[in-house]
Amino acid sequence: MSDAPEEIVVVDELVKDFRPGFGLRKKRVLHGISFKVRRGEIFGFVGPNGAGKTTTLKVLMGLIHASGGRASILGHDIGESAYRRHVGFLPENPWFYDHLTGREFLDFYARVAGVGVAGRADRCAELLDRVGLSHAADARLRTYSKGMLQRAGIAQALVHDPSVVFLDEPMSGLDPIGRKEIRDLILRLHTEGKTVLMNTHILSDVEMLCDRVAIIVQGRIRYEGCIGDFLQNEERATDVVLGAVSPDVVEQFETRFEAGVKGRGDRIEFRVAEKHLEEVLRIALDTGAEVKAVTPHRVSLESIFLSAVEAEGAER
Amino acid sequence: MISPQRVSAIATNTVREAIRNKVLYVLLFFALVLISTGVLLSTLSYVERDRILQDVGIAAIRFFGAAMAIFLGVGLIHKEVDRRTIYTVLSKPLSRSEFLLGKYLGLVATLWLQMAVMGVGFAVTSWLSEAPLDAGHAYAIGLAGMEAALLAAVATMFSSFSTPLLSALFSVGIYLVGHLTRDLRELGAASGSEGTATVTSLLHRVLPDLESLNLSIQAVHGLPIAPAEVAFAVLYAVGYSAALLVFATILFQRRDFR
Amino acid sequence: MSGSLAIRVGLLAAAIGVAHVAHARLPVASPAEQGEPFVPRPEVARATSLGFAAVLADYYWLRAVQIVGGEPNPEHHGHLLGRFIDVVTTLDPWVSHPYRFAAVWMVEDEEAVRAANRLLERAIEYHPDDWRMHFYLGFNHFYYLGDNETAADALEPAVRLRGAPTYLSRLVARLRADREGLDTAEAFLRELLKSAPDPYAAAEYEKALDEIETERRARFLDRARERYRERNGRDIASVEDLVRGPSPVLERLPPEPNDWEWVLHEETGKIVSSFYMYRYEPHVAARANHGKEGEGS
Repeated sequence: MSDAPEEIVVVDELVKDFRPGFGLRKKRVLHGISFKVRRGEIFGFVGPNGAGKTTTLKVLMGLIHASGGRASILGHDIGESAYRRHVGFLPENPWFYDHLTGREFLDFYARVAGVGVAGRADRCAELLDRVGLSHAADARLRTYSKGMLQRAGIAQALVHDPSVVFLDEPMSGLDPIGRKEIRDLILRLHTEGKTVLMNTHILSDVEMLCDRVAIIVQGRIRYEGCIGDFLQNEERATDVVLGAVSPDVVEQFETRFEAGVKGRGDRIEFRVAEKHLEEVLRIALDTGAEVKAVTPHRVSLESIFLSAVEAEGAER
Repeated sequence: MISPQRVSAIATNTVREAIRNKVLYVLLFFALVLISTGVLLSTLSYVERDRILQDVGIAAIRFFGAAMAIFLGVGLIHKEVDRRTIYTVLSKPLSRSEFLLGKYLGLVATLWLQMAVMGVGFAVTSWLSEAPLDAGHAYAIGLAGMEAALLAAVATMFSSFSTPLLSALFSVGIYLVGHLTRDLRELGAASGSEGTATVTSLLHRVLPDLESLNLSIQAVHGLPIAPAEVAFAVLYAVGYSAALLVFATILFQRRDFR
Repeated sequence: MSGSLAIRVGLLAAAIGVAHVAHARLPVASPAEQGEPFVPRPEVARATSLGFAAVLADYYWLRAVQIVGGEPNPEHHGHLLGRFIDVVTTLDPWVSHPYRFAAVWMVEDEEAVRAANRLLERAIEYHPDDWRMHFYLGFNHFYYLGDNETAADALEPAVRLRGAPTYLSRLVARLRADREGLDTAEAFLRELLKSAPDPYAAAEYEKALDEIETERRARFLDRARERYRERNGRDIASVEDLVRGPSPVLERLPPEPNDWEWVLHEETGKIVSSFYMYRYEPHVAARANHGKEGEGS
């Protein structure tokens, strides 16, 4: 792409305070967050539960009013509400009017979204087919499985052919097959050129789907950028398992490489930074130790969250 | 701008959902039983049985209309929030005002449907008992429908910012006071104190004057009812309900759906 | 399976039995029914009717109907009824029958009649075209209160109303002239009988008409007694003295209307029918004043 990617969603210093109960004490849940989503990308909004992901999406959808800051979608300020014609939204753990059949359900949302009579039935049938619910089109939603409901929810979000789609934890509570189905749907949206913003707390989904991410912890953005870059910045490490190691070598590992060695004698385990791996292995082989396993260690998102939370605690 | 298509989509769905509510059928059943019980009650008197029969019938329609309006009205918005269906609906290009209006109109359609069934029950009972039926009865039942619509607006207004229980309490309170304001104004005027008279007169003007929508006595006695009076009563109910709804949209607009 | 069913049926029967036995021992009448019935103040009843004035009026009307016939103490009857009908007609002043019901039954003393008249005045306010309300009011003034002038005034507006019987104008004239009242009373009562709201009221009016006829014959006998006294210088010892002897004042006694006998009242010495044992008294209020001795006006 030669042009600078157009910014579809711009969030600028967004603040949200909630007033629990009737008390005067406010609770700040978004501390001035900023991020941008570019045209055609799958953007992951990542953070632990309670970090403010859902609140942010609801502010963007106009369900919650921001206490401060600005946000715009496709150049429209979110106060205008005209932008919603171009945005589809799937809330977390959605629940729908379960007395409707799949077809009636979609028709209802199509009418609410202002889809004209002409082609509405075709549009609904096509969407049902696309999310793999054609076979259940005339069954009531209450008979749907969790995965089917989630797919119906995505169909609902797409009913007015939006160019931007917001998905809140689209894969939560699904079995592996269900997760794959949703993942495939999201990738298809991507190939169609739609911009996707998804909330998640599952790193593997992020790595598999997202071009860029923003990491939010306790109402503050900790990182925004490519997920690969983020993981690059983290110090990579490797888990090493050795056998027949003499105690003085163990001591050498502990002092020189700050490796926390567990076990002793014929089986020890420890983790070393990637930059030291070569040297550790050389020493081990030179001293006649037996290399049982060398596994690259994956940084889990949870540990990132954890470290972020710890950092937060330290700041206070 | 308000789009009729979007509003009617919400309204239709509200009706479809409401008529699946089993409590509604229980209420409807009791109303019909009460209307036909008028026949039994009237035999306790040896004269003016038609009048007692129709008094009971119209009272049943008015009471159950009001009860359903409050019962369904207070849960109207809360149910959507509670089941999180409101998230997806409001994420569509649909204004909150359109949503609220659609919900309200759906509720009113449901109420009028129920009251029409009761009205038919009333007509059949009257016809079987050979009691007179004329335009007055239609006016009285029609205005009972307007009273239900006004109460539905009251309940919707409260439900747009409050819990169902509180909304029900407020709405029942408004219903009771709404039937008292005329008497209050008279008492105030008779009290001799100018301050009291001003306050009671103000209450009468500000709170809904539900007695103005009550033509049951006139209808049953076959007293002359001026069509203009009925027209003004309808206009009053429509105007008052519209004001409540506008107020409700203002409150609803400010609300966060967490 | 069948064993547990048998146990359940047994338990069900036992539960029903206990409930039935306990229920049979509960008093049937509610405490309120055992004593003086509760009647709210009319304005309170109206303020608390909350839009259901019409049905509440019906409710109090049905209770009022139960009093007549159900009330053990007839002395209270009219007063209690008056309070109920006041509530009924405050809640729904356009009712028609309850006003007439009150007029017919609230007669046991002057106070009751005056209360009934107040209700009738309300009736006239809400039914200005109904001649019967004027008629009842006029009758009450004449018959129970002995006020012929007021009765005539009350009756006069009815003359011009639709459906009013043609003789009403004559009745008004007679009220202004006839102080004695037997014919006037009969004219009233014949009309009341014609439009009696119910068989009980009709029976009351028939009885009153019968009393008037009896009184007419008793007065005939009074005049014969007077002649007897003039002729013989002494009073009769028994009613039969009037037809006894060589030159009796009467050839034969007029028959007592109910085929009973004419006797002299033990205390008052008046000629009375053995059926009634008292002389006709058109004005209840006067009767209350004079006790049992009094003969008319």
